[in-house]
Amino acid sequence: MALLRALLSQALGRLWGCPGHSPSHSPGHATPSRAMEHDRAIEVYDIIRTIRDPEKPNTLEELEVVTEGGVEVQEIGEEEYLVTIRFTPTVPHCSLATLIGLCLRIKLQRCLPFRHKLEIYISEGTHSTEEDINKQINDKERVAAAMENPTLREIVEQCVTEPE
Amino acid sequence: MAARFSGVLQLTDLDDFIGPSQECIKPVKVEKQAGKAAAKIRIEADGSYFQIDQDGGAQKLEKAKITLNDCLACSGCITSAESVLITQQSHEELCKVLAGNKAAAPNEQKLVVVSVSPQSRASLAAKCKMGVLETAKKLTTFLKSLGVHYVFDTTFSRNFSLLESQREFVRRFRRQTEDRKALPMLASACPGWICYAEKTHGSFIIPYISTTKSPQQVMGSLVKGYFAEQQHLTPDQIYHVTVMPCYDKKLEASRPDFFNQQYQTRDVDCVITTGEVLKLLEQEGVSLSDVDPGPLDTMLSSAAEELSTHPGGGSGGYLEHIYRHAAKELFGIHVDAIEYKPLKNKDFQEVTLQRDGEVLLQFALAYGFRNIQNLVQKLKRGKSPYHYVEVMACPSGCLNGGGQIKLEGGSKDELQHVERLYESPKAEIPEENQAVAELYEHWLGGRDSEKAVGTLHTEYHPVEKANTSFNIKW
Amino acid sequence: MPEALSLLCRVPAHPESRCWALAWSPGGALLASCGGDRAVRVWGRAGSSWTCRAVLGDGHQRTVRRVAWSPCGSYLASASFDGTTCVWKRQEDGFECVATLEGHENEVKSVAWAPSGSLLATCSRDKSVWVWEVDEEEEYECVSVLNAHTQDVKHVVWHPSQELLASASYDDTVRLYREEEDDWVCCATLEGHDSTVWAVAFDKEGERLASVSDDRTLRVWRRYHPGNQEGVVCSGTDPTWKCVCTLSGYHSRTIYDVSWCHLTGALATACGDDAIRVFEESPTSEEAQPTFSLTAHVPRAHSQDVNGVAWNPKEPGLLASCSDDGDIAFWKYQRPEGC
Repeated sequence: MALLRALLSQALGRLWGCPGHSPSHSPGHATPSRAMEHDRAIEVYDIIRTIRDPEKPNTLEELEVVTEGGVEVQEIGEEEYLVTIRFTPTVPHCSLATLIGLCLRIKLQRCLPFRHKLEIYISEGTHSTEEDINKQINDKERVAAAMENPTLREIVEQCVTEPE
Repeated sequence: MAARFSGVLQLTDLDDFIGPSQECIKPVKVEKQAGKAAAKIRIEADGSYFQIDQDGGAQKLEKAKITLNDCLACSGCITSAESVLITQQSHEELCKVLAGNKAAAPNEQKLVVVSVSPQSRASLAAKCKMGVLETAKKLTTFLKSLGVHYVFDTTFSRNFSLLESQREFVRRFRRQTEDRKALPMLASACPGWICYAEKTHGSFIIPYISTTKSPQQVMGSLVKGYFAEQQHLTPDQIYHVTVMPCYDKKLEASRPDFFNQQYQTRDVDCVITTGEVLKLLEQEGVSLSDVDPGPLDTMLSSAAEELSTHPGGGSGGYLEHIYRHAAKELFGIHVDAIEYKPLKNKDFQEVTLQRDGEVLLQFALAYGFRNIQNLVQKLKRGKSPYHYVEVMACPSGCLNGGGQIKLEGGSKDELQHVERLYESPKAEIPEENQAVAELYEHWLGGRDSEKAVGTLHTEYHPVEKANTSFNIKW
Repeated sequence: MPEALSLLCRVPAHPESRCWALAWSPGGALLASCGGDRAVRVWGRAGSSWTCRAVLGDGHQRTVRRVAWSPCGSYLASASFDGTTCVWKRQEDGFECVATLEGHENEVKSVAWAPSGSLLATCSRDKSVWVWEVDEEEEYECVSVLNAHTQDVKHVVWHPSQELLASASYDDTVRLYREEEDDWVCCATLEGHDSTVWAVAFDKEGERLASVSDDRTLRVWRRYHPGNQEGVVCSGTDPTWKCVCTLSGYHSRTIYDVSWCHLTGALATACGDDAIRVFEESPTSEEAQPTFSLTAHVPRAHSQDVNGVAWNPKEPGLLASCSDDGDIAFWKYQRPEGC
């Protein structure tokens, strides 16, 4: 079953444009769990950095909306991780911040191959309505409903699809 | 900011009491400057935005401005943001205009006209513990002390709204076999209802809505049309203010349909609520009861110096006037007393005209959102039995409008008191008003003239849901 | 402790999708589930397992968020993100959609029948709570639109015997409503949670209310009537609802649902940490300051967030749960010795 899920996730990953994963188990100096967390963080970042900005032709990485340092992974159970992402909207009143949050969530939901819980926040002090946005993008019901809005879904799909 | 617009507009996408800078979805056009890219924006402690360009220079950014007009044209929220209201339609704006007018050179000065609704007058009378005539006379003196030149009563313009509605109904009734959307005719005087209908039910509901202008907008046409001519002024040389029981009237006055392109002026320049009149009084340190009564102004010299009212309730009496007229005109029946039958609640009542057991006319009052909702759903399912519905957004109708003065104590008794005051003047019959007849004949060129239709009727426009925007609220 | 809650059966109820909510029929024989696949499914017992008896698949265009049975068990209502609420009538060979309630501006999040069966409540992201009345001809009319909340309303639930309605919201509050003259009014606001309140549940008598939140706490509120001996202040004739117990530190993520068993008094919670927990009131607990203890905890009850829990109304200890993993699980709860 686990194997099936992994295969399925890979297949879907290709379908949904998730990057191919080559988990690099670099034996660091830290404890095994720390090293694993670090690797997981790189995996996460690898997935989100290529998400495109909804308005601009650039990726979130190019715009420095997401950075490696903004990804934190913590082991919370056996083979289960808490992924926390902090992103920085390009402007403090950016009306697209919720949409970027949505893209991050959707792409990770689809592509992250390991069992996880996901929290996404605006980097502290970088948005005028930070708290409201944090609440909204971490409300899974709102996210689910948003993805059933054809227009929003199309925008998100365009942002999260890997360029050929 | 408290909920000020009527309940209908406080719904969901139609209302999000928010600052436009935060959540307004109106796309703002930004003039792009070529060359400079990747500027950063910084918020200062005072909330102002600065753009920092690549060489480190800072430039303050202009705030985007949202007008009430933008709100009307957009399928998003109705913003009640204080800033929007204040900059456009408020007692502060009125004070600014009055002050500017006093300071201006004589040939630059505007003639300031205030038209007061009878609902507002009744609310003020209740608050100041006076009769309505006394209130009207004292209010006239007070407003003139501020620099207002004429004070009119929208009961006068309502005669036109009632007459046009009556005749429109009869026309629609006779057309019902060939036009499936001729009936029911739905009242058009309530801007909250109109706004909701245009935004939520668009092209489905619009054909049912009476095209007759509301008393406020008929007054706008009279003041900027007839009265301007009399005074040898162009429409833009008059500043026309109305005093209304409801915030939604501000939106109505902002409609592009009531904007004079030629003279770049609105038929009603500014709408203030009854509550704002009270604020004006407080601001001036005046108690209305201490003011000397002044003579009432009339638009036509032939009109008498006394108040009148229209029977049929505090929302204008549309149902009753149309019902009586239609019974007579269509069936030759003279109606004495009208019997209202309350249905689900006090804000949904029915009136039926029968002959030999056959229902000839079936009318209803539907006030407040829940009843509007049921009416619209019945219409959609083809289950509405009505020929005419007096639709109003506020529960209990216009006397209970969001702009009325909130009184202390039991709100129900207070509302009944306002109702009694409202009904206290002599009831008038629009058909018998000489001044109205004169205006039809001499100014409008007859009852069915092109000018009469153009002056007394309007149009509605479905608002398309914004679907292309990045800014869909979710 | 793990043996306090033992798994009876697991069913892939909404495969490849998520299961959002569950509702037991009043007689306890049927369980309705709904989910992201836009379908409502009705389950019945078959030996030791549960099988699907009906699929109500053509009523909604989007996710079905909640389902509710009428008190007589003949009707099922479903609330959907498509902005509508469908009422289904039980027929001999399935269910037929007999009414579609329209009016909410966007996603309908919850639906509930009043104990009399003649009133229905719905709530939506449009911030409003609607009360509907059904007449003899199965026509539904809106009797009130309540705009007390300032944000998305997540859940509505009726008092077990009175016409008192409770709603939980994204605005962090719970509100209660009652009829006044010919309209409904908000008669109490329960403030205390620090984030979205996802669900509420009354106890058997309806004197207490449990609420669960994104703030990872469960709160128990008690009704104090005017003139109460405890001296809790009431305004006018309306009772005051006071928080008498806060359970914090048990849940590690958002709590999405709570079910208060009317047979045993046990409280079950559905949590975003994939766990199901059961709490019971200590026998020595005081009315004004009740204490609840954790009597069962299944850490990985599902492979993803648990969205719903529901105690069977007739069979003590039978609990159903549903999850983002699309499964429904049936559990047998045995009160641990000494509790």
